Amino acid sequence: MMMMEEGGDKVGTGAEERRMRMKVMVAIDESDGSFYALKWALDNLITTMATVGEATPDNEGMLFLLHVQPKFQHFVYPIGTAGAAFYPASVVEDSVKKAQEETSAALLSRALQICHDSRVKAESIILNGDPREKICEAAEQMQVNLLVMGSRGLGTLKRTFLGSVSDHCAHHAKTPILIVKPPEYLKKH
Amino acid sequence: MATSTSERVMVVGIDDSEHSSYALKWTLDHFFTVPIFKLVLVYARPSATSAVGFAGPGAADVLPIVDSDLKKAAARVVEAAKQLCIDKSVHDVTVEVVEGDPRNVLCDATEKYRATTLVVGSRGYGAIKRAVLGSVSDYCAHHARCTVMIVKKPKTKH
Repeated sequence: MMMMEEGGDKVGTGAEERRMRMKVMVAIDESDGSFYALKWALDNLITTMATVGEATPDNEGMLFLLHVQPKFQHFVYPIGTAGAAFYPASVVEDSVKKAQEETSAALLSRALQICHDSRVKAESIILNGDPREKICEAAEQMQVNLLVMGSRGLGTLKRTFLGSVSDHCAHHAKTPILIVKPPEYLKKH
Repeated sequence: MATSTSERVMVVGIDDSEHSSYALKWTLDHFFTVPIFKLVLVYARPSATSAVGFAGPGAADVLPIVDSDLKKAAARVVEAAKQLCIDKSVHDVTVEVVEGDPRNVLCDATEKYRATTLVVGSRGYGAIKRAVLGSVSDYCAHHARCTVMIVKKPKTKH
């Protein structure tokens, strides 16, 4: 498990950082839905709960950005005609891992930037494994007050379905969970 | 993304279960310390005809009695919820009691009030080890057109 901290980065000497009273975890992945969920959370939750200035024991809260990297399967990749030559699995594995890490880092830095722009303190976390399980586990272990997830609203069917990850977490997470629906669905009034 | 009306509405589904009062309390504690959201409580009252399982002779006599019982139960639920709000110093509360299936009633209410968020508790039947979502919360999570928040009452022992 890798933790990347936003760091005590201050915008300027006079700037005040807003803090949330609750510990909120937002699950981030490459989908637009999860970024929309993050923006929704910042827009709606911060207004309700933000306090400005020094953290005191009562108003200490935090926004956690969680990204789960799906586990990479260790396969041997045959290269060349008739699979005659094989690249050592480790080389391929390393390069995929590296690509994955770069994607994750880019994703989280984008998310952190959004939080930063709203002047909200946030911390990012990267885990490996099945997003369904890891998100629920992480929310429980870190004892967050609220887990926020986007929802892809799969399919072209008129009825909306939850994405499989958000559906799983809605069933299994022990913490309260907030599911943010994608905006095109909301506009259809 | 900000809606043109700056009012944010939170619809909370209530019933007579512990899960629901826990969900309401939790929501009041976390979201209503400042008056940013407008609170709407919706209770879906079972209709007398759905409560009475049988039809046929005798049903007609039973219905008015069942109906008045249900009305009394609804009044109790509403009172308890209003009291919770008062205890948490939330005074601007709209309460609605609608007859019908909670699934539809709650989703309709979110449209009627142009809710920002719908909050539901979740029954999570404990007899089955697997965590389950109550059918109402599951339905609402899928079908409501706004953000849905599911608040689960933590089990006392794991």
